[in-house]
Amino acid sequence: MEHILIKILGAIATFILAFIVGMTYGGVVRKITARVHNRLGPPFYQNFIDALKLFSKKTAIHHGVMHFLGPAFLMVSSVVSLMFVPVLIPGGDSWYNSWFSNMIYDGDLIFLIYIMVFGSLGMALGAGQTGNPNSSIGITRGLSQMVGYEIPWVLALVSLMLMYKTTSIVDFINVQQETGTWLMFANPFAFIAGLFALMGMFHYSPFDIIGAPAELASGPVSENGGKFLFTMMSSGSVFSFVKLTLFVDIFMGGASNLVVLVIKTFTLYMIPVLYGIVSHRYRTEQAVTFFWKWPLFFGLLAVLYAVL
Amino acid sequence: MKEIKQQMIDRILKAFPDAKNTDYDGNRLDIAIKKESVPALLMHAKEEMGFRHLSHIAYIDWIEQGEFEIVYILWSPSDKLKLFIRTRIDRENPVMDNIDMIWRQANTYQREMREMLGIEFPGMVAPDEFILEDWDDIPPFRKDFNTLEYVNRTFWHRPGREDAQDVRETITKRSGEEIPDFAKKYSR
Amino acid sequence: MYNDKNSQKIVDIIQNYARKHSLWVLAYGTGCGAIEIAPTMTSRYDAERLGIRGAATPRQADVLLITGYLTVKTVKRVVRVYEQMQDPKYVIGFGSCTINGGMYYDSYNTINLLDRYLPVDVYINGCMPRPEAVIQGFVKLQELISQGKANGAAKYKENLEWYKANQKKIAPKWFERAPEYNW
Repeated sequence: MEHILIKILGAIATFILAFIVGMTYGGVVRKITARVHNRLGPPFYQNFIDALKLFSKKTAIHHGVMHFLGPAFLMVSSVVSLMFVPVLIPGGDSWYNSWFSNMIYDGDLIFLIYIMVFGSLGMALGAGQTGNPNSSIGITRGLSQMVGYEIPWVLALVSLMLMYKTTSIVDFINVQQETGTWLMFANPFAFIAGLFALMGMFHYSPFDIIGAPAELASGPVSENGGKFLFTMMSSGSVFSFVKLTLFVDIFMGGASNLVVLVIKTFTLYMIPVLYGIVSHRYRTEQAVTFFWKWPLFFGLLAVLYAVL
Repeated sequence: MKEIKQQMIDRILKAFPDAKNTDYDGNRLDIAIKKESVPALLMHAKEEMGFRHLSHIAYIDWIEQGEFEIVYILWSPSDKLKLFIRTRIDRENPVMDNIDMIWRQANTYQREMREMLGIEFPGMVAPDEFILEDWDDIPPFRKDFNTLEYVNRTFWHRPGREDAQDVRETITKRSGEEIPDFAKKYSR
Repeated sequence: MYNDKNSQKIVDIIQNYARKHSLWVLAYGTGCGAIEIAPTMTSRYDAERLGIRGAATPRQADVLLITGYLTVKTVKRVVRVYEQMQDPKYVIGFGSCTINGGMYYDSYNTINLLDRYLPVDVYINGCMPRPEAVIQGFVKLQELISQGKANGAAKYKENLEWYKANQKKIAPKWFERAPEYNW
């Protein structure tokens, strides 16, 4: 009984951590973007204010059941994938380590690859029912772009699976603990391919055609305001935390306590962000062509490296 | 340039004896012609003389003469010449020949003229409302349309506009400058 | 629905704090005023430091910023956009054209008084108002929000028949066809 209670409380704690860290990262990114533009920029807690405001807005839109379920799908997908990702190294020495080991021994990478796409698909269904043409165009572009970056992403992970003959994330962390080298050095080609895929997943420039406000009126979310947008915003923050943590776990040796986790994820997060600030925007076919060139090449190279 | 221009005028006058030419400097040809010959002249200019581009269709309300004037402005890319074709139609019964099968873009101008002056173009594509939606007065670009009266009837004025002062005298008094003579006639 | 500072609950104060510091603006770029929005938002004047940022669609927006004159044709669309926005929502009239018609006061197809058709919370005068004036207008709106006085939407609901009658006066057929206001 006590075990289950700790699990539940731990799940809630993990969610709150992911929410706070993801939202703060979002705010810090806005600040950094503003500084790069030579602006003062909003305070780093601006995203929390925005979320509170969106939550306190009234909602009088009704487009059908699927429209309500879309953001819920997104949230479910984010939370479920959060539950299966080891936030900290299991069995570490910190007193709070057991709080963040939710269901990490039950899932594996293949399940995560599936469940991470699930949210986008649910979102696509929800946005499709709003009947807004901008939403439909955004969905089409988003799904096409997903086809682009999923392939190097899967290839990178498959190469690691082949290399160590396992699909469990915990095993990957353990391998890195035992050998003492991070997998980004053990299989650098997989890391490069994965990094490109990560840039695509974050939807910053140059891969932000999905929600470009000036072109598409913010794409899939164009018909969602108030509490819908709050749900999407918070689940997006949680999901970005999930992606960063997963990447840190697999390639960068995991994190033994929260400080290390924040340092590693933030450093990793800066790569797509800083590249995005200074880069232009790709059209969908340009983005897909991009992903199917060098990232795909590095992915194949990683698989070869793992097999040979 | 001069020779080509004269040649063009001669060709038009030969084909359309009732056309009247007005001389202008530069690359501008100006032909006045009666309403019935306009489509034929436009066709002739487009197909035979190289005025392939319709730049604009202007319209003027000559309320004193009881006529509307329509000016077709053509452009010849090869000879770099402008051709103005003017015609006048009756103001009481404003009907003009439709030319949107010669130039498709003429349709837009014709729809505008239909709405702003009330000229009918029988056979025009899409003869429905264009810019003015829900308009139920006389066409607004006619000279006998009283805009201010319409505005007073339809919209509201915020009080305060009528006692607007001419502030320039105050400014000149304060700064010690004088209003120049040419500007005095604009003073209220 | 009206609330002022004395009758605000703690929840209202917290919510108004959030609303005040997170104004998402739908800039309805009619007239020439839209040119002043770009410097207001970008690095020279940087409205984002006050939490003001652009929203792409009416569903996400809090503030409808009407930049310049409204013709009869655009006022219909503006009313549609306003009705699609979610409560709480505010309208800022921008430039003298929205206040009294400006230089188009005797034009046959531009409306003169915006507040006969939509409830305006803040007017920014000038032709054109400079970005400093625009930011001043936003700060004024923030003050009104924190005092609980930015009640334009509530006013619109209460006087809906009056507003609808005014709208129908300029474009009877359109507003007969248009769907009714629903919250």
